Amino acid sequence: MFSRTRMIGGALAVITTLLVLTNQRDVGIARDELIYMSTGDRYADWWAGLVTFDHGPGPASVDKTWGGAPGSGNNTEHPPLIKTMIGISHKLFHGVLGDLTAYRLPGALLHGLLVFLVYSMVFQLWGLMEAMVSAMLVMLLPRALFHAGLAAFDAPIMTLWFAAVYAYWRCLDGRRWPWQAGVVFGLALATKHTALLLPFALGAHYVIVGFRAGGLRGIITHRWRLIVSLAILGPLTLYVLWPWLWYAPVAHLKQWLTFHLTHVHYNFEYLGHNWNAPRFPWHVAIVTTLFTVPVATLASALVGASVWILDRANLPDKPRAPVLLLALSAAVSIGPFLLGSTPIFGAEKHWMPVLPTICIAAGVGVVWAARSAVAFIGSRRSLTVTTRRGIMVVVIGAVLLAGAVETMTAQPYALTWYNALAGGAPGGADKGMNRQFWGVAARGVLDVLATDAPAEGTIPVYSHDASPAWGMYIKEGLLPKWLPDAGWEEGGVKASQRALVIHEKHFNRHDYMIWKAYGTVQPMFVLRADGVPIVSVYKRPR
Amino acid sequence: MSDRSRPVAALPAVLLVAVALWEVVATRCDATSVPGDDAWRDAAAEVRAAFHPGDLIVFAPDWVDPTGRLHLGDLIPVDVAARMDAARFGRIWELSIRGAHHPDTAGLDPVSSEIHAGVTVRRFERAPAIVLADIRDRMLGILTSGGGIGPAVELAEVGFEPHRCIQITPNPGQQSRITFPDLPLGSELVGYVGLSDVFTRRDIRAPGKLEVEIAGKLAATVSPGVDDGWVRFAVPTTPGTAPVTFIASADAPKRQICFAAEARK
Repeated sequence: MFSRTRMIGGALAVITTLLVLTNQRDVGIARDELIYMSTGDRYADWWAGLVTFDHGPGPASVDKTWGGAPGSGNNTEHPPLIKTMIGISHKLFHGVLGDLTAYRLPGALLHGLLVFLVYSMVFQLWGLMEAMVSAMLVMLLPRALFHAGLAAFDAPIMTLWFAAVYAYWRCLDGRRWPWQAGVVFGLALATKHTALLLPFALGAHYVIVGFRAGGLRGIITHRWRLIVSLAILGPLTLYVLWPWLWYAPVAHLKQWLTFHLTHVHYNFEYLGHNWNAPRFPWHVAIVTTLFTVPVATLASALVGASVWILDRANLPDKPRAPVLLLALSAAVSIGPFLLGSTPIFGAEKHWMPVLPTICIAAGVGVVWAARSAVAFIGSRRSLTVTTRRGIMVVVIGAVLLAGAVETMTAQPYALTWYNALAGGAPGGADKGMNRQFWGVAARGVLDVLATDAPAEGTIPVYSHDASPAWGMYIKEGLLPKWLPDAGWEEGGVKASQRALVIHEKHFNRHDYMIWKAYGTVQPMFVLRADGVPIVSVYKRPR
Repeated sequence: MSDRSRPVAALPAVLLVAVALWEVVATRCDATSVPGDDAWRDAAAEVRAAFHPGDLIVFAPDWVDPTGRLHLGDLIPVDVAARMDAARFGRIWELSIRGAHHPDTAGLDPVSSEIHAGVTVRRFERAPAIVLADIRDRMLGILTSGGGIGPAVELAEVGFEPHRCIQITPNPGQQSRITFPDLPLGSELVGYVGLSDVFTRRDIRAPGKLEVEIAGKLAATVSPGVDDGWVRFAVPTTPGTAPVTFIASADAPKRQICFAAEARK
């Protein structure tokens, strides 16, 4: 029986992975992906060379591939796990999937894993129906689906964060060797620095359940092996996976953390203002989440959270307090963004670990609401099994349908999309919400450039934020070779025959540079997402 | 949690279904709510049929500007797009969607208004400001002192808008003086100043300062900050000619100050 239900979770995971892989084909290449792809290739080569004895693990060898200050060529500002997976995946699957999809495969697989883990946890706590619905609501998150299709860390850390929460919860069962929690926490640390927040959630939870179990003494003794596992195996896993730490762990850890504690503030539009320096509004994370999660999912989560609060005497698994754990996980992942000093660029991608909690609350909430409706109608008239199921299908199906419609509407320009509460992409633009970032939308004008280009001669294109991806677009066959990138800033504009502006408020300056050089303000083409301009293409007048 | 025999037990389900169905409909309506190219072509045709050289064309809301320029950009010279303000334009065409209005038409009543499948074309007419002198066109013969980078007329980004303005980067703690020795003046000198370049505005947070001296007397002081955009100033003047000096200064380095001014009748 359990294996059959596990198969349902597995099937949902596979569907999710396929959905991500299908969707990413139309998603442009994000600026940062190129860095992760190239470093990932080198990391994978290094590990392959190590196991085949082509080189040893000496300091010179490590430094060449893994070393350097954060911000330099080996991308030491980010831990290695996902980049290594990206590189290995490319090595193994580029012949089958093509270069880009092979790089993006790990993100898709991890998103499937997230759906499976959500399903598994909810199944154990609330049952099959809640598990299926929660998992599907994770699948139908427009922005998360988008991020999962990129060769980057933001969707993966959501998975690894939740995996760490799940493993910790499972290991609270008193097992003798709770190594799983420590190792998974270490994998999260090796994914992205935001995992450093996890101990705040897990620690607070442990103190509470420990105190409940044994008073003050319980805080120390309740499941002490679990704490040892997290404290020892977590950092150890990070250390093993990141050769940069092998020879100067303290100094390099310090460099890594300092980079993020002193990170430059990128430009980000929020409610009509371009923010690039603190203090930021305290409500950025709340409003952005309210505008980027399907409304029906949010409403269901509200119902679910209300049920948990009002019926707290009947919460499942009281000794391990999983609802408290989920709440703490969400609070800790989004909390720093309420401070006004934490960088807000990237928006929801930086607090995506809040999403599993929202979806679990939503899954529990909508199933509870459907069952309550069935019970109410059943108290008034006799219902057949078919009718009962029909009511459940209508209520749950409506919420899932809303998520599905939002998800389909959002792609492939999900960073421009906002939910119905915001008024969609046009409503988001009206409200001055961030239009996009990373230059991904340039993918949508490549065919326009290719079609318009003459068959002979070189036509340099000023591509500004899409510049790092230009070579990959040509390699992927999305652009002809005679449309090379023209270069950076004014020199690039001067050298260009075509020019792109990827519309973000702080990129307006690219328009003005082009107007000055081309002598016209008229683009030849404007790519729009639901009517909202996202890329303009200019052609130099003859 | 609750007594499931009471009607309230069904309320959450009803509300969730209602929210979900609303969301399905609203999502698709929102996604198709912005007028497409056919509507813009019709609207542009109306403008082209009655456009006079020297007319100003604006679009609202600001995010639809690229779409507007796609259809009518050939009628908008770069200098008009990068104007100091709209006062010198006697006829303004506003093409707008979603009920928006452009700031340059604030307080004006349209003389005509037509809607083309969601794109509203309004024409405004008014007596334009008569410009006696535009300092951007009188850079030959200026006197400068105090160092710094510039002055030079640039098409600059100030407050995320395009402005053709005189840009100068004063040395920290020093005054860069730019004097127009014989500037024809009317009854008012109107100008704007702001800090150009989003990245220096991000990295250097201190404000800049612009002072205006007319015939050696301080007439105006403006201190634009990093979030202030294109800041207006106006000074009453006595008709005739007079030396007008603009004094740019900043405590911080790399502070790019960009300004423009017109002497108006």
